[in-house]
Amino acid sequence: MTEESKETTVKPSAETAVNTETQPKEEQPDPKKEAAQKVLDRIRGLIVQELGDHVLEDALLMKHQPTFVVKRDHWLQTVQLLRHHDALGFDYPEAMAGTDYPANGYIEVILYVYSMNHNELIAVKTRTPRDNAELQSLSYVYQGLNWEEREIYDLVGVKFTGHPDLRRIMMPEDYEGHPLRKDFSVWKE
Amino acid sequence: MFEWLNQPFTPMTVLGMVIGGVIVLSVILLVVAYSIYAQRKILAAMHLRIGPNRVGPFGLFQSFADILKLLLKEDIVPAKADKAMFLIGPMITYVPSFMVLAVIPYTATHLFTAELNVGVLYYIALSSISVIGVVLGAWASNNKYSIIGGLRSAAQLISYEIPLALSILGVILMAGSMNIVEIVEAQKNMWFIVPQIIGFSVFIIAAMAELSRVPFDLPEAESELVAGYSTEYSGFRFAFYMLAEYVYITAMGGLAAALYLGGWEGPLLPGWAWYGIKAGLFIFLTFWLQGTFPRIRNTLLMTFSWKVLIPISILNIILTAIIKIAVA
Amino acid sequence: MAELRTEEMLLNVGPQHPSTHGVLRVVIKLDGEIIREATPVIGYLHRGTEKLSEDLQYQQIIPYFDRLDYISAMLNNHAIVNAVEKAMDIEIPERAEYLRVIVGELNRTAAHLLFVGAYLLDLGAMSPFLYVFMTRERIIELLNEISGARLTYNYMRVGGVKYDAPPGWFAKIREFIPYFKEMYQLFDDLITGNEIFISRVKGIGSYGQEEAINYGLSGIPLRSTGFKWDLRKNKSYSVYDRFDFEIPVGTNGDNYDRYYLHLLEMEQSMRIVEQAIDSIPEGPVMGKAPKILRIPAGEYYAAVEGAKGELGVYIVSDGKDKPYRMKIRRPSFVNLQIIPSLLKDQNIADFIAILGSIDIVLGEVDA
Repeated sequence: MTEESKETTVKPSAETAVNTETQPKEEQPDPKKEAAQKVLDRIRGLIVQELGDHVLEDALLMKHQPTFVVKRDHWLQTVQLLRHHDALGFDYPEAMAGTDYPANGYIEVILYVYSMNHNELIAVKTRTPRDNAELQSLSYVYQGLNWEEREIYDLVGVKFTGHPDLRRIMMPEDYEGHPLRKDFSVWKE
Repeated sequence: MFEWLNQPFTPMTVLGMVIGGVIVLSVILLVVAYSIYAQRKILAAMHLRIGPNRVGPFGLFQSFADILKLLLKEDIVPAKADKAMFLIGPMITYVPSFMVLAVIPYTATHLFTAELNVGVLYYIALSSISVIGVVLGAWASNNKYSIIGGLRSAAQLISYEIPLALSILGVILMAGSMNIVEIVEAQKNMWFIVPQIIGFSVFIIAAMAELSRVPFDLPEAESELVAGYSTEYSGFRFAFYMLAEYVYITAMGGLAAALYLGGWEGPLLPGWAWYGIKAGLFIFLTFWLQGTFPRIRNTLLMTFSWKVLIPISILNIILTAIIKIAVA
Repeated sequence: MAELRTEEMLLNVGPQHPSTHGVLRVVIKLDGEIIREATPVIGYLHRGTEKLSEDLQYQQIIPYFDRLDYISAMLNNHAIVNAVEKAMDIEIPERAEYLRVIVGELNRTAAHLLFVGAYLLDLGAMSPFLYVFMTRERIIELLNEISGARLTYNYMRVGGVKYDAPPGWFAKIREFIPYFKEMYQLFDDLITGNEIFISRVKGIGSYGQEEAINYGLSGIPLRSTGFKWDLRKNKSYSVYDRFDFEIPVGTNGDNYDRYYLHLLEMEQSMRIVEQAIDSIPEGPVMGKAPKILRIPAGEYYAAVEGAKGELGVYIVSDGKDKPYRMKIRRPSFVNLQIIPSLLKDQNIADFIAILGSIDIVLGEVDA
């Protein structure tokens, strides 16, 4: 392939350029971004109106993605509102993941929910301290999160209170440690 | 020498009996070995595969290699199995399968055939002993797949024996005899498949279920029960179960040929050749179905026997009786 | 006489069992032949793809994705490169997009063919399995020619695809399409109308739309309930919006619908391939992507329609050349969750029929 070889020779010079290339997209008003901002504002308004100002820690756009950071104690309450409120109706759990941030001392759990009626995708996340990581379980709100929560419990080590069947799912039952934590090591000292 | 039924019991007749027995057994084993080979080749052709082709020319000795392999294998008895029952199970299945062959009339000269007056009854009675061996082996294996397979097998064989027997009853009515040789002779003018077409259909379906062949292969449904009642068996005990299954296919083919297809009757070719062709057709049918159908649902299995096949076969008997009276 | 004492039997199906499609293990409580409770146990094929990804550069992660749903590796490739490209706003050449769609849809057809064969094998019919393999073989050969591998292709790259189509490749697809249509008709004629088959799948293992959505099902398990949800249309990515194709949906959400949708989807995939090879533009297949990919710090989620459903990738980046955290939304994993509720109070014979119809691949479930 001639194109192939050309590519590889061009790359080293392009490499440094692209990183700066992707950055300055904020300058011109992006219609996608504005639409996302509108969604964000509307949902934030609804959450604040229903549950009060104190449940949300933050509401921001992660690259066109409306994201809400919920306080840990209001995690279940907020998601229930998102699920059952008529104007929200986020009925489809798309993805759930837990991420360990040892530098900040917390574990973040993110949930992507989609509204089939309004065609909106939002992310909600919450944070729990690394030691005794604990969250309210959402598996009764979305049955599909049952295993996702088990996986997070297994690999990241977040305990979900009220989960009907909180066992390890990937690792053997007598396994010690949580592989997706950043301080995990297979070499036991 | 081979007419021992009406002769005094002398050393010569005993010798004749032994020779006759050995000949029948080896012929049957040969037939079974090649019907397994035929099954593999026919299925392969239906699957667009080649099938066995390594042992001997065209893989002709494949079955013997398989049997040899099974015989040489270690005879494993699971630690938690009921040992005595586990060992005896395959025999109980295997022995009757050969005993039923005694009444199958291969040729017009009734060589090596017992001309029993209750031939049909004998066949049905003996073949139903085999299921005891299956259930016994399954129970003794102490394996959950085995026990489900064994119980399924018992339920299936018992409920399909009834339509099978009832469908044969039509033939018995037509021939006026339970002696299989006489039944064949009664078909000189017309094969019973023509007047007994309803009975024949029931017979074929019930026979497939009796033999646990596709689509009624629930007792050994491999995708559910791994290997059904024979899960824990290996070596020659497993071979006994397998052999019994294929001997029954051969015997059932023989029975079908005798009851419905006019036995050894046929132009040009000798009687045994016609018999082989007719029984072979039945054996081919079992393989053909195996290449064609998925497995039936087990809830449907019982309903089908009790609610469909049995009423039809009873209707067939009544019709046969009415026609017989009307003709007479 | 005292009443007959009965007890429930605990049956451990798998991880070595002929029809759990790999190493799935299901612990079922049996009352006679009726399943009272079924608990899937997974993790036997867990390789820690997510953990491994944290130590790999983005281009290096692609082969690991091949091994998730190993029968539709092209679509997995598409999931990861699509996620990275969306995160970095990389534009890729038109021709590469078209090639991705073509190989993706061919692979989807191959995966669905395998489902049809394996499903019938589960139901006790052996022949269809070998027939679908014959058809699938042609597709695998086509994919082999363009990527150099038969199963784990490792074909797509961030910024495009690795190789352009070899000479005569499109002509071979043009030859393949009529052959496929003929075989498709054959499967439809031989299998779909079979009375025994119908009795085993019609009305068995059905669930409603609401339940499906609540479980987060995607792909055919969701569409079988009549809900039109296909990421190729609903959240169009790549160049799928340029093609004219339909999203077939079922009505009852039962085994039959799920089986038949696989057939119908193959037809639609072939439609896409047909249109794509007719309109594919000339040009390079690899765009301007930096050799070392550094996703700007942040969190990203992007999904494609995999063979089993929504295959999503969630990337947390701290600006380095490796992901800080990568989570893969595996459709098989999510879809499998509905199994316990579907199996409750079913006959053990339907166990296999229901499990098979959900169409899981254990490589993806266990990741």
